[in-house]
Amino acid sequence: MEFKRCVTRKTLFLVIFLLFSFMTSGVYAADKENCLMCHKYRQIGRIDEKGHKRSYFVSENIYANSVHRNVPCRDCHTYIDKLPHDPVTQEVNCANECHIKPPFSSENFSHRKIIDVYNKSVHGAQEDDSPTLRAAKPYCKYCHLNPIYTRVEEQRIAFEETLGRCLNCHERKGVTQAYKHITHRLRSKTSRSPQEIVQLCAKNCHADLVLMKKLKVSKESLEAVKTYNESIHGKAVGLGSQIAADCVSCHATSSIHDIYKKDEPHSTVNKANLVKTCKQCHENVTERFAQIDVHSEIGPHEKPVLYTVNVILGFAFYGSVFGLIGLAMLESYGRRKDGIKMQIIHGTSWRGHSKRDKSK
Amino acid sequence: MSTSIENVAASPKETGADEYYTFVEGVGNIPRDIYKLVKSDPLGDLPRYSVHIVIQHFVTFVTFLILAATGLTLHFASLWWAPLVMKLFGGTDMARVIHRVAAAFMVLASVYHLITIIGGTLHKIMTKKFNIKRTQIPLLKDAYDIVHDIKYFLGKEDQRPKMHKFMYKQKLHYVAILWGTFVLVSAGTSLLFPETMATIWPNPRFGQDLARLMHADEAIMAITVIVFWHWSNVHLVPGRFPLQWSFLTGKITREHQIEEHFLEYVYNLQEIPEEREYMKKILRENGYDTN
Repeated sequence: MEFKRCVTRKTLFLVIFLLFSFMTSGVYAADKENCLMCHKYRQIGRIDEKGHKRSYFVSENIYANSVHRNVPCRDCHTYIDKLPHDPVTQEVNCANECHIKPPFSSENFSHRKIIDVYNKSVHGAQEDDSPTLRAAKPYCKYCHLNPIYTRVEEQRIAFEETLGRCLNCHERKGVTQAYKHITHRLRSKTSRSPQEIVQLCAKNCHADLVLMKKLKVSKESLEAVKTYNESIHGKAVGLGSQIAADCVSCHATSSIHDIYKKDEPHSTVNKANLVKTCKQCHENVTERFAQIDVHSEIGPHEKPVLYTVNVILGFAFYGSVFGLIGLAMLESYGRRKDGIKMQIIHGTSWRGHSKRDKSK
Repeated sequence: MSTSIENVAASPKETGADEYYTFVEGVGNIPRDIYKLVKSDPLGDLPRYSVHIVIQHFVTFVTFLILAATGLTLHFASLWWAPLVMKLFGGTDMARVIHRVAAAFMVLASVYHLITIIGGTLHKIMTKKFNIKRTQIPLLKDAYDIVHDIKYFLGKEDQRPKMHKFMYKQKLHYVAILWGTFVLVSAGTSLLFPETMATIWPNPRFGQDLARLMHADEAIMAITVIVFWHWSNVHLVPGRFPLQWSFLTGKITREHQIEEHFLEYVYNLQEIPEEREYMKKILRENGYDTN
């Protein structure tokens, strides 16, 4: 009887679980013009001139959960003006204005403002750039490579407790999204982890020494990845620290995209701004503190005194270690020959016979 | 009592350090290699360390292992095992906290040690029991001992030199620990409080780089010496395997005391009547004269 009841209960739970797992999220993307009429088909696509398979499939479910879920297709893909449309040759321009009005705003939303900041920075394309440099410079999607623009996962903030108060007045769906959008930016400088930032800056670009040499960057810049990884910030981040400084912690303000060479007056790593930059994490920062090297390269030319100290310490290390191990081995050899055994057994370790030459 | 100790302390010099027999008042002529004939308790027979030293060693070795595990991992961050060890300590940010807490305990143990050593020495001076030969202070005799000990190991001399409570190995190690602790604590303070230290260093840029360099290099040296030398001496060399209980009991075995700290054993004979009786018994059993 007991067994039966147990089974029924378990079955009931299983059925409910299965029912839930087949439920759809019930969200719909902004598709006023019914682009999904064609793009909903999984097989839609072609093989291009280079022989690559291109898929034009748009998953409504994924799109409906992305940050761009409320943006109609043609707000970004502006070059489409008839149906069926011509082959697409243009890239999407992230500076476009879309027909979305942010809360408390009368203007349409656009990434224009941050793109202007970015264009002025060292990474923005300039008039006098060489063709190699221009080709090497990153563009929006170079760093924002979350391919389907899904939202940042928020595991670390206590939603339910905080959201509970908002829900007294607001609708759950809307306020949750707004809350997430704002809070992950409030908590830390970027929504990316320090590891992601270092990866983004190093991989394919700043760690590519051949490319960096071709672009004629400064010596400090050439060694930046190596010296950062050897610094305490770099080592801690490399091992998973969430609080140690990454690249943009020091090289950009809170607008993240305003990275400049250190000689430029508005650079965060310019001598005049260093105190302010270090103060983001360190307390009681003074001019003297700001003199400390962050990317410290101890070579024979940069820092001859420290280099010499390091070499001497190296000799001291090998000298003492091998000297002392040699002494211990010599001691063991001599005492073994005099008849000592490894362990004290029956009150003595001198159980052997001395093989030493007693004639001396 | 104090007069007799001074007499004994002077006696090895008078009789010569390489004499085979050492005369001890109330016991007789003790042959240098008597340690091969005595019986020892593995837990220790004769006093060596006070309870303070045992506690200090315990705190130091526990914190040392924690500091080494967290510090080495951070230093060799790019090696494959580094993230695994960091996970063991609850992530990098936690490991850094653990490193600092362990360091604080090690500094406490060091301060405790300084208090016991300085206080104990002052007490001994006031009660006129102080004897520089029974301390860790390096003397010219230690240079003599190391040369003759190596000659013995190579089979060129018949007996080991007669050494004091702390032989050349311990003195070398002790001086290294004093220097190492000073460097590691001062450099570590500089890494932990860079803002404050920047106001103290004459050249903060150079000072901080030096601190980074010295903290890592000195730590690696300390760890290597501990692992390869200290552990060899206390665990692996013949007669000491698998471990000596001195670190818990504070006592040294009789055969070890006579072999490596013969002159300290002579003091023991002066101070402990039971030990005199035991030595007389051993001498008689082996056909030596006693008085």
